[in-house]
Amino acid sequence: MKGLADRHRLTPLALAGLSLAALVMVAPLLWTVALSLKSNAELMRDSGTAFSAPYTLENYRAILQGSQVFSWLLNSLIVSLGTTLGVLALCSLAGYGFARLEFPGRRALFVLVLLGLAVPEQAVILPRHQLFADLGLHNSYPGLILPGLAAPFGVFFMAQYFRGIPRELDEAALLDGASRWTLFWKVLLPLTWPAQATLGVFTFLASWNDYWWPLISATRSDRFTLTVGLASSQMNYAQTSGLGYLMAQAVFAALPILIVYALFQKQIVGAMAGAAAR
Amino acid sequence: MKSRALLRLAAVAILGAGVGCGPEERRTEISVQRFFGECGAVYGRSTEVAAAEGECGIVTTLINRFAADNPDLDVDANVVAWPGYAQLTAQIAAGDPPDLVTMHQSVISDYQARGLLEPMDDLLRQAGVRPEDFTAAGRRGVSKGGAVYGLPWDTVGGLYHVNTGLFAQAGLMKDGKPVVPRSAEELLEHARRFKRATGRPYLIQSQVNDPATHVRNLYTYLLAQDAVVFPDPQHIRLRTPEARRVVELFRTLEREGLTTRNQDYPAATASFLNGEGGVFLTGTWMLGPFEEEARTPGRPLHDSYAVVPYPRLWGRQAAFVDGHAWVAPKRERSPEQRRALARFIGFMAGHNFDWSRTGHLPAFRSVVESPEFQALPHRSDIAPLATAGAPLPSFVQRQAAIEGMVGEELASAITGAKTVEEALRDAERRVNDLLSRL
Repeated sequence: MKGLADRHRLTPLALAGLSLAALVMVAPLLWTVALSLKSNAELMRDSGTAFSAPYTLENYRAILQGSQVFSWLLNSLIVSLGTTLGVLALCSLAGYGFARLEFPGRRALFVLVLLGLAVPEQAVILPRHQLFADLGLHNSYPGLILPGLAAPFGVFFMAQYFRGIPRELDEAALLDGASRWTLFWKVLLPLTWPAQATLGVFTFLASWNDYWWPLISATRSDRFTLTVGLASSQMNYAQTSGLGYLMAQAVFAALPILIVYALFQKQIVGAMAGAAAR
Repeated sequence: MKSRALLRLAAVAILGAGVGCGPEERRTEISVQRFFGECGAVYGRSTEVAAAEGECGIVTTLINRFAADNPDLDVDANVVAWPGYAQLTAQIAAGDPPDLVTMHQSVISDYQARGLLEPMDDLLRQAGVRPEDFTAAGRRGVSKGGAVYGLPWDTVGGLYHVNTGLFAQAGLMKDGKPVVPRSAEELLEHARRFKRATGRPYLIQSQVNDPATHVRNLYTYLLAQDAVVFPDPQHIRLRTPEARRVVELFRTLEREGLTTRNQDYPAATASFLNGEGGVFLTGTWMLGPFEEEARTPGRPLHDSYAVVPYPRLWGRQAAFVDGHAWVAPKRERSPEQRRALARFIGFMAGHNFDWSRTGHLPAFRSVVESPEFQALPHRSDIAPLATAGAPLPSFVQRQAAIEGMVGEELASAITGAKTVEEALRDAERRVNDLLSRL
């Protein structure tokens, strides 16, 4: 009879397959890092020089010396964290409401929220832009954060998670005299931590990488997020004459994301596995 | 005691407020928005225009210099992601466009046709800039319906960048100058001779994900044959003998292996830098980097670089060109702001030579003819572009989208995926469909 460890041991063939798949996944990242460590002049002649020395940190120095790069970084952090916190708060409340509360029109309202999943951002960009212009919200943090708070997927995700929690917990808490708010805040919400982590990470990543809305809402360079700021620092034909700098920008912009993954890897994997099993 | 301290505080506050409202603080604000990248790390505080290099360095330093020379103005300079039109459109929609914006001359008609740009005749007059002093190409690029809609800043066009070392091997040099063909047949003959002598393709072309290259070739040689490409604002005409001739030539070059194949722009650039072909068909903007290579010992282009306008293969000498301009989106402006804008425009016009160090051709005849411009490397060779260069007719809108469609179809024809006739028919149909919806 095989033990648990034996059953989880990979065959050489599976190991080779997984290693190959991992290599395919990581190759573009390694290529990007290698190019970022080469001088632009060398890469213009031959990008194959990325495989051999000399390497340089010149491109990273150029980014760090950029006049506004740290303010763009700060803007991205404020916008991404603000959006993430807002989404978590709103989606948790909405998810709880749809999963646990009975009120007239609940189903219809839930369907209406889900329909939001079918509406692409491009379809609403013009009226949204006009609305924000009328409200004077462009080139402001609220202008960058508010659109991201409408998160139908987050509501759906949290509602499903709340539905998976046994109702007996509610009944026990209510019998003990807990209010609806206490039940939500002290009993159910702590149980949704894996879902919160997943939703939070995904929201943070989406907000961090967002380009389209910040491009047209934040038109002043002191309000650029990192994605727009780095794009603005590129010259035309950057892929030819500034390839190393371009790749260094990609690495620089990805670093916070990699840190988020590294810090929350356990929660992400656990929550994804849990969500899949559910 | 306490009340005296409060009085002192109040006096300080009033004085402070008075200082804050003093005449020296009431500076006129103008906002200028540009592309060309952000290089504040190197040029953020520099006002030494002559020492600046490259598009970003020169434009940054020019704006810094203007701000330093005009301390009574508050110049708000905004750098946008290339090419910045999504942001500009958003700013216009939000009712807060900048005062002056960099814009490709080929894009002006899109905004001008919708009444979003201010005619600049008055501003130019106020700035002491006369449109008669623009080059022919520059003036054509900013003139729409009898009015001038921008300060042209340069002319950008395609050039024959030549590896003279390889040309010499093929016997295509005479008196130290490359011998360029004078007909399509001669071009093929030169290309075949070049390949026999060097074993390399005559042409280096960026043919993948680069519709602009194909379109530049086509428009240039249609202009040379005086073909009417856009008979009216709603139609393009491509199923013509003139267009077939041009596309057939490039198809033949491809079929006979006389050009590089399957290269995108960076790959084609690397090929030229590494001496893998005779002529690279690309624009004025690469003159600087190639000249740098030509000065670097040990590199394939060392002492082996020349650049000339596209040769005349049919009809007359012509070149399809575009250019950059400063335009003024429509918005309310005070008389002080208008005066400030006129000063900015006058300053930029006065520094057109500095901008021409980027490799782009000047937009003023006096600069093109000036000894200092002619003394820059290769500039006297390419100066004819400022006269012979022409944009599309000023009524043609959506030129960037049209370029994409026509370029895709041309690529299909040149690589053999479609016949020439099919590609021209499809290009015409797609563009006419687009234009019919304007």
